[in-house]
Amino acid sequence: MTKPVNLREIILETLMEITEEEAYSHIVIRNVLEKYQYLEKRDRAFISRTTEGTLEHMIQLDYIIEQFSNVPVYNMKPLIRNLLRMSVYQLKYMDSVPDSAVCNEAVRLAQRKGFYNLKGFVNGVLRNIARRLYQVQYPDPAQEPLHYLSVKYSFPIWMLDKWVAQFGYEVTEKICRESHMERGTTVRCNLEKASKEEIIASLKSQNIMVSQHPYLDYALVISGYNYMKAVTAFRKGWITVQDVSSMLVTEVAAPNWGDYCLDVCAAPGGKSLHLADKLMGSGYVEARDISEYKVKLMQSNIERTGAINIRAVVRDATIYDPESHQRADIVLADLPCSGLGVIGRKQDIKYKMSEKKQGDIIRLQRKILNIVQDYVRPGGVLVFSTCTIGADENQYNVKWFLENYPFRLESIDSYICDELKSRTTQGGFLQLLPGIHQSDGFFFARFRRLEDAGTRYDETMRNVEPEGAYL
Amino acid sequence: MALRQIRIMGDTILEKVCRPVKEMTPRTKELIGDMLETMYDANGVGLAAPQVGILKRIVVIDIGEGPLVLINPEILETSGEQTGQEGCLSLPGQAGIVTRPNHVKIRAYNEDMEQFELEGEELLARAICHECDHLDGIMYVRHVEGDLFDVEAEEEESEE
Repeated sequence: MTKPVNLREIILETLMEITEEEAYSHIVIRNVLEKYQYLEKRDRAFISRTTEGTLEHMIQLDYIIEQFSNVPVYNMKPLIRNLLRMSVYQLKYMDSVPDSAVCNEAVRLAQRKGFYNLKGFVNGVLRNIARRLYQVQYPDPAQEPLHYLSVKYSFPIWMLDKWVAQFGYEVTEKICRESHMERGTTVRCNLEKASKEEIIASLKSQNIMVSQHPYLDYALVISGYNYMKAVTAFRKGWITVQDVSSMLVTEVAAPNWGDYCLDVCAAPGGKSLHLADKLMGSGYVEARDISEYKVKLMQSNIERTGAINIRAVVRDATIYDPESHQRADIVLADLPCSGLGVIGRKQDIKYKMSEKKQGDIIRLQRKILNIVQDYVRPGGVLVFSTCTIGADENQYNVKWFLENYPFRLESIDSYICDELKSRTTQGGFLQLLPGIHQSDGFFFARFRRLEDAGTRYDETMRNVEPEGAYL
Repeated sequence: MALRQIRIMGDTILEKVCRPVKEMTPRTKELIGDMLETMYDANGVGLAAPQVGILKRIVVIDIGEGPLVLINPEILETSGEQTGQEGCLSLPGQAGIVTRPNHVKIRAYNEDMEQFELEGEELLARAICHECDHLDGIMYVRHVEGDLFDVEAEEEESEE
């Protein structure tokens, strides 16, 4: 007889892949669910909820485990540490699973995975936790505020430290809290294909809850659907799934009739298509990305929507393309970033990022900006954006850019709703924060190239070193 | 010891009734060793002798709690019911839903031909029933409720 599938074993293996190897959670989980498509819906839901929940609360789970174990979590065998994490998650957050089942299954799994000698350890730690979970002493917010936030919301201290310095304690707590909230899906109405009323009626006829997003007229928030590909409005191409923050980027780019737009890091292509839409079939959008695979995906999306003024091209943004020299009316630089603005949807980002990695990312961002700024024609527009929060990758990059290149910031107030207007938007940039704004964490700035500036890009790459202590 | 070839459904040997083992010989001992090795190699939890082409009433099982060798096993009593997914090394990549007793009691001989009794629940009970069926030429597909389904991972490229 073949080995039957064991749900907890699948979860354990998935966690191992995400936490011990550098695999991305959303991709791994999607592949696992695809592979076990034949399992019942309930079983698949158990797999995804336990895996995602364990990642979401990992720092807190480790804290609890260390209250009951003499061995610190980082010293445990990787398999044992992930087994304990997923078990403690079930004990603390899943009332429907009896404690005894959690302990028994964990012991059995440890044994089956070849850790016969650690059976007693797993059993002892878990039974103790099951019995005394409610007595666990968490850090005191008055005494150790950062440690408290770190354990309560499972964020690394170094990240909190930076945020508290920039945004203050209360805002930081709101950002952390928001990352654990359920949110609806934001979609963009493709008004070329159907009117908003038609789209809302179609969604409602499938019992999907629809509400208007406050920031943009054509943005809707939907919830209560099962599977996006079964939504009629989606299948007909009437709606595109996109966070409102990325729609705002296109608004801020504000293309004019006939503009030539260059999206230098375009995949998966949402913003490029939105630009093409805004151009109403005029002008031209070139959507570039580094990987052939992503470009093919974009190309098939383009074909599906039937847009004629856009093309996807394979091109590495870190390599200078002399043919693009001062050709574009608008350059959209939505750069690779640490992604801290979308932690709510990709929980493992917060553990995988480090100050050192962030330093590397900033160097890459500046390398790309140094090259792509040259593609903007005199008097043309450059929009810089990231899906992260914090000054290092955002405001400091803006400052660095202005100091080194012939551009000036330009107010974005005329492109955004009143609710978002502030002193910074008048200046030309905006940091969206989850928990404060109704969107992902996101940053964008709008620059205009000075008319009489003639400099080419800087081959020597002077000055790309980020400020601050990055190793 | 060596790996043996696992026979695939369609091979008529899987449809035959096996003969009891009368005495332990070095050859039979070697067969048992090979069966365990073959089962572990194929990542299985149970294997019956006809699955490697030998018509003898011998079964090996390991549900993760150590190897179990059953010679001339007889099911004495069964009780309860469990319904779940089952697959077989002789029908790779497929599985089906089968209802089995949740608890079984058996009598069998060990490698030294000493008689013993054993009770098993859940997965062990399922494995015992599945393997004992093999000794009488019965494949689990005869018990499957509904259709068989594919359990091989589909290789699909992912987005991003």
